[in-house]
Amino acid sequence: MAKAQAARSWAQTARELDPLRAVWRLFTSVRWALILLAFLALACLLGVLLPQMPSTVRGDSAAVADWLDVERGKFGVFTDPFYRLGFFDVFHARWFAAGLGLLVVSVTVCTANRFFPIWRTIRQPQRRVADTYFQRAHHRAEFATPVEPLALEGVLQRHRYRVERFQEGQTTYLFADRYSWSQLGTFVSHLALILFIAGALVSKFTGFSEDMFVGEGTTAPVFAVSNPNQMQVRVVDAVARFNSQGQPLDYRSELAIYQGGEEVKRCTATVNGPCAYNGYRFHQAAYFGFGAELQVRDLRSGNVIYKEVLALADSMPAPHVIVRDGDGGTLMDATLVLTDFVETAYGTTVSIPGSDRTMWIGVRPDDSNSRLDLVAFEPGEQADAVRLLLPEGQRASAGGLDFEFVSVQRLPASFQPDFPLPPGSAEESPQGQVLLEMSNVVYGVEKTSSGEAVAVPTQSGPPTLSVVGISPVVLNLEPGQTASAGDYEYTFLGQREFAGIKVKRDRSENLIWLATGLLLVGLGITFYVPRRRLWAKITPERTYLAGVAGHLANFRKEMGKLGAEAGSPDAAQEEEEDGSP
Amino acid sequence: MSDIPPTPEPGDVDEAPQRRRVWAGPWRSVVLPLVVVAAIVGAIWYIESRGLPFVESGSSADSGDYGPLALPAERNPTGRDPSPEKERAAPDFLLETLGGSTLRLSDLQGKAVLINFWATWCQPCRSEVPHLVAAYDRYRQEGLEIVAVNLQEDEGTISRFVQEFGLQFPVVIDRSGDVADKYRVIGIPTSFFIDRSGVVRSIYTGPFVGQQSRQGIGESDLAQRIEEILR
Repeated sequence: MAKAQAARSWAQTARELDPLRAVWRLFTSVRWALILLAFLALACLLGVLLPQMPSTVRGDSAAVADWLDVERGKFGVFTDPFYRLGFFDVFHARWFAAGLGLLVVSVTVCTANRFFPIWRTIRQPQRRVADTYFQRAHHRAEFATPVEPLALEGVLQRHRYRVERFQEGQTTYLFADRYSWSQLGTFVSHLALILFIAGALVSKFTGFSEDMFVGEGTTAPVFAVSNPNQMQVRVVDAVARFNSQGQPLDYRSELAIYQGGEEVKRCTATVNGPCAYNGYRFHQAAYFGFGAELQVRDLRSGNVIYKEVLALADSMPAPHVIVRDGDGGTLMDATLVLTDFVETAYGTTVSIPGSDRTMWIGVRPDDSNSRLDLVAFEPGEQADAVRLLLPEGQRASAGGLDFEFVSVQRLPASFQPDFPLPPGSAEESPQGQVLLEMSNVVYGVEKTSSGEAVAVPTQSGPPTLSVVGISPVVLNLEPGQTASAGDYEYTFLGQREFAGIKVKRDRSENLIWLATGLLLVGLGITFYVPRRRLWAKITPERTYLAGVAGHLANFRKEMGKLGAEAGSPDAAQEEEEDGSP
Repeated sequence: MSDIPPTPEPGDVDEAPQRRRVWAGPWRSVVLPLVVVAAIVGAIWYIESRGLPFVESGSSADSGDYGPLALPAERNPTGRDPSPEKERAAPDFLLETLGGSTLRLSDLQGKAVLINFWATWCQPCRSEVPHLVAAYDRYRQEGLEIVAVNLQEDEGTISRFVQEFGLQFPVVIDRSGDVADKYRVIGIPTSFFIDRSGVVRSIYTGPFVGQQSRQGIGESDLAQRIEEILR
């Protein structure tokens, strides 16, 4: 006896120490699943509350260090520990992925563990219960008047129960089962949960996202050089619409997508309506209106040697100046494109219309370097030569002329290195750098885009591109205009806009939609069509009913209704009482 | 009327089998769930790894013929497998030219060949092209051939560029990118300098610009490399 007990105890201990069983116990534990869920919820909360490292910073150690320096102001000594723990990049942290993985395993093990018992109750339900169950069941009813078994069977069948009837002496037993398959609803919900997590993992590990900045008429590749799905995106037209206050109303781009040397799709991408091709979505993410297409041709060969769409992303000052004669008549009202640097001043030579006077007008920083003052300088030693320094918004007279410095405007501009310069210019600008400035720039009108907003100084006439640095002259070109310098011919092909296109592929979307559908179906089945199992014992004296149903079913009331329909008067009475407020 | 089931032992009905934890042995309780997890992960992995269908070009008569080829042994002077490395025979390929004919690299043996991988969307490639044009003008009589391998672009775009920039040398289209893969091109422009016997003498990644602009072709790195393969 003692030996047998010792053997059982040993077997029990061995079972508890069995690592497989330990793993199984852990992963079938609802408590463990709840702990995992709580852990992931806490992690998500951290990811929402703490600043997360931008994707452009991630992977670049210098950028990470700079980013952390900024955050150090907020988190102090906790910054480095937080970074090492992955708190600044929660959703890419390995421990977060591990948590998701453990939850998937837990849900799967739980589901598999419970599948076979549930399947058994569906395929081989318990058709008969012990008589004592009719006294103990949570859902039970008892009628003093017996019902006709066949009548009750008919009623149950009308209520879509599958019914079996057994006879034992004078007692009839019924087993009725409705929606037995709905017990599988819980697996549908669990499968949805697994697919949700799988979707998150797919998105994390295989998602693709690339930002492109593409000028009108130009093409950019979606991938680095080598990729079997290589595609190119051409921005055929980038469009922005603005309201009268200059606020953007809409951005959109007409795109042509190429793959394998063929145009495979032409479509319009908007902010909320991406263009989709082959699983990739092309979103309109940004817009930039100040670009210029410039071409340089070598006149000796006739070949184009430079043709670029350039973003004029910098800006240069452009003073709005009014010059009047002594009688107050306006001689010049213009926003000047400045082309020369003289020490700290930046200006240009201007011939005053209606007079024979030429002077250098520009701007230079004041002593505090906080504002730009207008400078006007007329060459020569004569007493009435113009020598003027004027703050913004003021008027002054000099040399018999009245100057008004209305304001400082900004022109879109860009310094372009490695620009083809004709022989003679290269020595003065050995790096081949030129300054491009575009005046009379509009975006939002006519040939560029529809709208009325004007963001930069505009005079009458088309956009004008000034190319500064091609010695000895400044080239001022309107769209389509050409100018030669040395053996090179420079052509301003026109103002161009740029589109910021975000290319994304997230193949988890289908999984997430599927999971959402399955979750709704699973919850719907579980809550709205719960399985009902009903056992009846009908003796010549009494009728007993007992059953099992989901939490939302008022099964006892249903039993009364079934009894009443089967012809039991006290069942009908009980139903009325039960239904009364 | 059904057969009478045996009278059950007194006890409750299994009201919530979904809440039961039943150890069904290591296979059912541990291995099976893990297999299910592995199957889900494997299915997702399979779906992801098979990639997206590649759109074959419709303009080529039989685009399946184009791409890397085996180099005939009699055209391999090194006795080692072709490889895009210095002192190895250049991997052979057959590609469609912009004019619609074909070009096989090994047919150019006897000439010095500069293979340049490029695309019109590549700004450094565009900067480099005038220098390649100048080099071709200068050295073609001495036996230089430049093969410009365009990566996966459409003919219209390439044709416009070729016309504007005045490319006189053959331009071929690597529609699938297989030749670029064979040559292990990881960035463009990339140039392979191949001597008259078909052996790679040097490889240059990046554009030939700057030095060429200031010094002209004669003294440039590009010219030195070309002259090395012309010898």
